[in-house]
Amino acid sequence: MTKAKKGISALLALTTAVGLSACGSAAGSSGEAEQGKLDPANPTKITFYSYSLAAPTMKAGMEHLIQEFNDTIGKEKGVVVEAVADPTYQQYKADISAGKPVDIVQHTFSTLDASRLNLGFKAYEDVFPKDQLEEHLKGIEPNALELGKIDGKMYGLAFTFSTPIVFMNGKLFRDAGLDPTTPPKTWADIKEASLKIKAATGKDGFGLAPNNGWTTEGLILSNGGEVLADDRKSVKFAEPAAVEAIEMWQDMYKNGAHAVGAEAELAEQFMAGNMGMYITSTALYSGIRKASEAGGWDVYGTGLPQFGDKPSIPVNSGSMLAVRPDSPTKNAAVWEFIKFVTGDRGYTIITSEIGYLPLRTALADDPNGLKDFIDKHPLYRTNLEQLQRIHPVAIWPGEYASEITTLFSDAISKSVISDSNVAETLQKAADEINKMIQ
Amino acid sequence: MSQALETSYAPPLPGKPSIARNRSLNGAKLWRKLKPFLYLLPALLLLGIWMYRPLLNTFYLAFHKWGMVPGTSPEFVGFDNFTRLMENKSFLSSIGNTLFYTAGLLPFSILIPLLLATVTHQMEGRMKNVYRALFFVPMILAPVSVSAIWRWLFHPSNGLVNDVLLRLGAISQPIAYFSDPSFAKWLILFITGWKMVGFSTIMFSAALTGINREYYEAAAIDGAGSMKQFFRLTVPLMSPMILFMLTMSILFSSQWTFAYIDILTTGGPYGTSTNVYYEMYKYAFSNLNAGFSAAAALLFFIVFGVISLTLNQLSRRYSFYDN
Repeated sequence: MTKAKKGISALLALTTAVGLSACGSAAGSSGEAEQGKLDPANPTKITFYSYSLAAPTMKAGMEHLIQEFNDTIGKEKGVVVEAVADPTYQQYKADISAGKPVDIVQHTFSTLDASRLNLGFKAYEDVFPKDQLEEHLKGIEPNALELGKIDGKMYGLAFTFSTPIVFMNGKLFRDAGLDPTTPPKTWADIKEASLKIKAATGKDGFGLAPNNGWTTEGLILSNGGEVLADDRKSVKFAEPAAVEAIEMWQDMYKNGAHAVGAEAELAEQFMAGNMGMYITSTALYSGIRKASEAGGWDVYGTGLPQFGDKPSIPVNSGSMLAVRPDSPTKNAAVWEFIKFVTGDRGYTIITSEIGYLPLRTALADDPNGLKDFIDKHPLYRTNLEQLQRIHPVAIWPGEYASEITTLFSDAISKSVISDSNVAETLQKAADEINKMIQ
Repeated sequence: MSQALETSYAPPLPGKPSIARNRSLNGAKLWRKLKPFLYLLPALLLLGIWMYRPLLNTFYLAFHKWGMVPGTSPEFVGFDNFTRLMENKSFLSSIGNTLFYTAGLLPFSILIPLLLATVTHQMEGRMKNVYRALFFVPMILAPVSVSAIWRWLFHPSNGLVNDVLLRLGAISQPIAYFSDPSFAKWLILFITGWKMVGFSTIMFSAALTGINREYYEAAAIDGAGSMKQFFRLTVPLMSPMILFMLTMSILFSSQWTFAYIDILTTGGPYGTSTNVYYEMYKYAFSNLNAGFSAAAALLFFIVFGVISLTLNQLSRRYSFYDN
């Protein structure tokens, strides 16, 4: 009987708590950014949902980053970060729906607007102290800061970040009589090198996953095309410049200059030493490095290839930090974590142990920072150079973001893999998307 | 006396405590009527909480727009979800795939298991159980590990299947099976079927052991060969189980393919291997559009409801029970 009573009272308490927290989140969306007081004796627990924690090549580095925060600043100020691995970006959505506290999310770019509208993510200006925020953002690459802004407010702070890099297998290059230190520059060069590698070694020369989800946009932009109009009211990926870029890709895929398979399969193939060139993010660099050492080959890297003499326009992969603290104390706790992971120490760990770019670019030349590391791995210079020319990936309009992402990505895959007419396939998808967002 | 006490309109006798007794006896009667329902209560409660409440909620949500975020409330949109659903090309193509999986699984859930069960049933000794265990093992393996193994086997560059086919000269270029629309859904079907065979075989084997041996002896004396025995005796006597497995296979094929779609192709390449359940899951938990997902679920509730009623009728008409 007493057990039953206890159960009922616990249930009541839980219901009240859920109700109250719901009220809190609804009320916290406007007004001044009030910062609660943190207490080291009674630490505030916050949750951090991260996809890097679920990827074998990134897990160790990300765990180190979180652990170091908990052991240093967290302990000193009274914040404990509890990390949740979220491989497919679904867990945070499910947990928000279930009413669990989701405070910080390592969020991808394309669906940020949807999360802002549907999931109660908050603008940095609304929850963090203004002067401290301005101070903290100094030193971060301004191009990167622009990426998480919607309607002039910052809903995400660029966090782990890369531009597309053409990774090269030095051994296969030399076997084919090519020099990896003078890498291919244009798409025509890539095709030529790829066919040579295939002919000489029997292994695939080049790979870019049709479902890569981000480099595709760089390909379209580099040929003078557009993906999403500036006013975000229509899509433009079915216009001639974009179609031409995708046709070039289809030609490589169909004519023996391209490995077949999806993203994971291509990454495995490259790491096994069975592919000459592979375009991906530097997030995989630590994994590729280990695989190459184990396999007895060497890695080289170059920037996104260009069309003819037009300089290429790289886009960014990776993530930003989106936040939804629901109390003044949590505002303060989340802010401590953000400051640490996007600070000097944070980026030192992110670059040297995971492989993403240091968005505090000065670290690259700082002898106390990443200078030694970057001198040893010159590939990062290429990555930092591309950062100057970077163009943000499309942030799809809110309500339909996930549907649009699927439609766009499916249309690209179909154009590249199948024998379909590229212009028609892209036009069909564009019409369907335009109908949704207009 | 007891008759008078049991009728509630009997006039109370003055000076006797008949009203109180009347009440308590009424209570006893009520208790007697309530008792069966009390026994049913746990089952009804569980059914109510886990089946009927969500079902009613689905009806409600199908006419609303809602992202499932606590603190927000569903917004009424009328038939909007249904019209959008009918215009959605990926939903329409997923219906085609659902039919493909449903029809394609029938050989794996009925024909092959029926043959395997009959053949192993006639075996003697230990090997009978060894074979049945072999057929059943895929069924108890976790879908995630099964998917990983099949993914490695069919890997475009490191997979055994491509390697063997290349060595035999059957293909000149490796094939990315799960990224190729002409292979992806066939492989999903095959893997699901491979896993299903064991379950149906065990069910059919169980049904076979229930058949009286004497029928076969009598048939053999009358000169019936093994084929004739199979079609004239085994199949009719197994008809209730065959119809049951048919119903299971049709109604659950979409659920059984779900795990492999999610892990191996995520519905791709370009939506060619998805089915309605996977699309519904995406609408709700990836696009956070519970109303849209509920509308799709409601349509399929009706379709599957009609199918199961029809199968129920068929089962009544064609099942033969050897009582």
